[in-house]
Amino acid sequence: MECLFPNSIWNEDDSRNECILVTGGTGLIGTSIREVLTSTSLTNSEFQIKPFEKWTFLSSKDGDLRDLTDVKRIFEKYKPTMVVHLAAKVGGLYTNMANNLEFFRDNIMINDNVLHTSYECGVKKVISCLSTCIFPDKTTYPIDETMVHNGPPHESNYGYSYAKRMIDVQNRGYNQKLKAQGRQGLFTSIVPCNIFGPWDNFDLKESHVIPGLIHKMYLANKRGDSGYTIYGTGAPLRQFIFSRDLANLTIGITRSYTDPEPIILSGMIP
Amino acid sequence: MECLFPNSIWNEDDSRNECILVTGGTGLIGTSIREVLTSTSLTNSEFQIKPFEKWTFLSSKDGDLRDLTDVKRIFEKYKPTMVVHLAAKVGGLYTNMANNLEFFRDNIMINDNVLHTSYECGVKKVISCLSTCIFPDKTTYPIDETMVHNGPPHESNYGYSYAKRMIDVQNRGYNQKLKAQGRQGLFTSIVPCNIFGPWDNFDLKESHVIPGLIHKMYLANKRGDSGYTIYGTGAPLRQFIFSRDLANLTIGITRSYTDPEPIILSVDEDDEVSIKAVAEMIASNFPNIKEIKTDPSYADGQYKKTANNGKLRALFPSFKFTSLNDAICESVVWFIKNYDNKTCIIRLGSTND
Repeated sequence: MECLFPNSIWNEDDSRNECILVTGGTGLIGTSIREVLTSTSLTNSEFQIKPFEKWTFLSSKDGDLRDLTDVKRIFEKYKPTMVVHLAAKVGGLYTNMANNLEFFRDNIMINDNVLHTSYECGVKKVISCLSTCIFPDKTTYPIDETMVHNGPPHESNYGYSYAKRMIDVQNRGYNQKLKAQGRQGLFTSIVPCNIFGPWDNFDLKESHVIPGLIHKMYLANKRGDSGYTIYGTGAPLRQFIFSRDLANLTIGITRSYTDPEPIILSGMIP
Repeated sequence: MECLFPNSIWNEDDSRNECILVTGGTGLIGTSIREVLTSTSLTNSEFQIKPFEKWTFLSSKDGDLRDLTDVKRIFEKYKPTMVVHLAAKVGGLYTNMANNLEFFRDNIMINDNVLHTSYECGVKKVISCLSTCIFPDKTTYPIDETMVHNGPPHESNYGYSYAKRMIDVQNRGYNQKLKAQGRQGLFTSIVPCNIFGPWDNFDLKESHVIPGLIHKMYLANKRGDSGYTIYGTGAPLRQFIFSRDLANLTIGITRSYTDPEPIILSVDEDDEVSIKAVAEMIASNFPNIKEIKTDPSYADGQYKKTANNGKLRALFPSFKFTSLNDAICESVVWFIKNYDNKTCIIRLGSTND
């Protein structure tokens, strides 16, 4: 766990104080967010840490989010006012295909523990992380936020995909409940497209396309290869978003997004 | 909890012995299954209890299925070889609309506890219960088993609907896992259309259309009303399945269904009937009520929600559904007989007399 305080003294009496808890805080997005908050660069200084913010980045050392007791202990300790829920059981294509049951159950458990404990503790904003890979497999393009549930996801990772989709269903339930109770609070989500950048998973088996190519070309280059062969025609088009851009946007959304519906965070096609 | 043993002695050494655990065993379907198994009637005797079967019907007294400790204790006690998972948090339209969160979470919990404990205990067949109401709201008709996940369900009960859909997702995960491990086992599901019959929920606020109309017409008849007015035009068409027919089919499926994909349990498409026709059939049981009127100032539900039962027909080609008229008559007779019987496990709910 790593707590970030701004350079200026965080005023305990300031009613504006935000305690922002980031689950999965040591993953690709979490680490990128931490770097942006503490950056001393002048560009995008609006995304640096604010005087009234305290950010806590959880790691697996803090507990197992599939265990409700661990989650309750964490919330009791940090008393978050906001939660950025990035933690999930993730993996590459082949791991997903062989373990759809675990990817479904573990993520359902993690999400229910974090979302419901947030609700019970009166957290006022919970931003969870979906993914463009959970959208319907057979669909028209471009896809947008209204289409998440419009058909079955791709067969290979249906367990992960349905568990992520259920975040949006559960969010709707909480927002409906809070409104009926006249309570403040918002449960919403971001939907990043393909992320890449420093702190990525570069594992040769588990990585996504950009980190995988970086790692393989590094080895090929080291061998002295003068060329590199990619699988397929190389024609398929994808949108990629750089981790630092995603971090900036996520910080901005954490502070100012008020829509219960998901928001796609996608990059430009090169 | 109620255990059923057949009249003949159940042979403890018979390797064919089946211990069938029914969750939600005192609900509409569970009670109907119990009645069929113990019936002495000669029709459909193939659905009566077999010598090598032991059926256990769970009720809420046995434990809270949202609590994993309770579920593990129940499985440890009964050691089922098969599970018919009917238990769920259910409710009428307005209860669902106001509590989608609870309907989602409670049912996800119940289902995960029952399915995962079944998997861990090596249960060889788990038949769960979905519903035609969870299908996509915007869809083509007739609907069939392949269409469950093809779009969002109706807004009013999305919590319940998504939780039920996730049974099918989780089933797929278990079947995939068992195959990879080279283990025997099957996780599958039935998808009933609108069920009605004795032991239904006749509560004036929570009931479905047939039991609701039966209860209201009973009261109208008692008051001496000569007519009864239904909301809407009465034109929308629906398929209804009698609880005893559903019980027969569920018993048959428990014994012989081997497909991991869901199976719709519904009367034929040709047996779709209008709400007005249903109301008239019900009214024919109440001597004072001579006329069914409609009030089109109330909105109709969807005109058609036709479900295709081709898969069922292929499996049970000669199955005869009870005629709707006879089934309704039997339900009305049961209702009247049990209206004042407070010891009966019926949910009349608020009787707004």
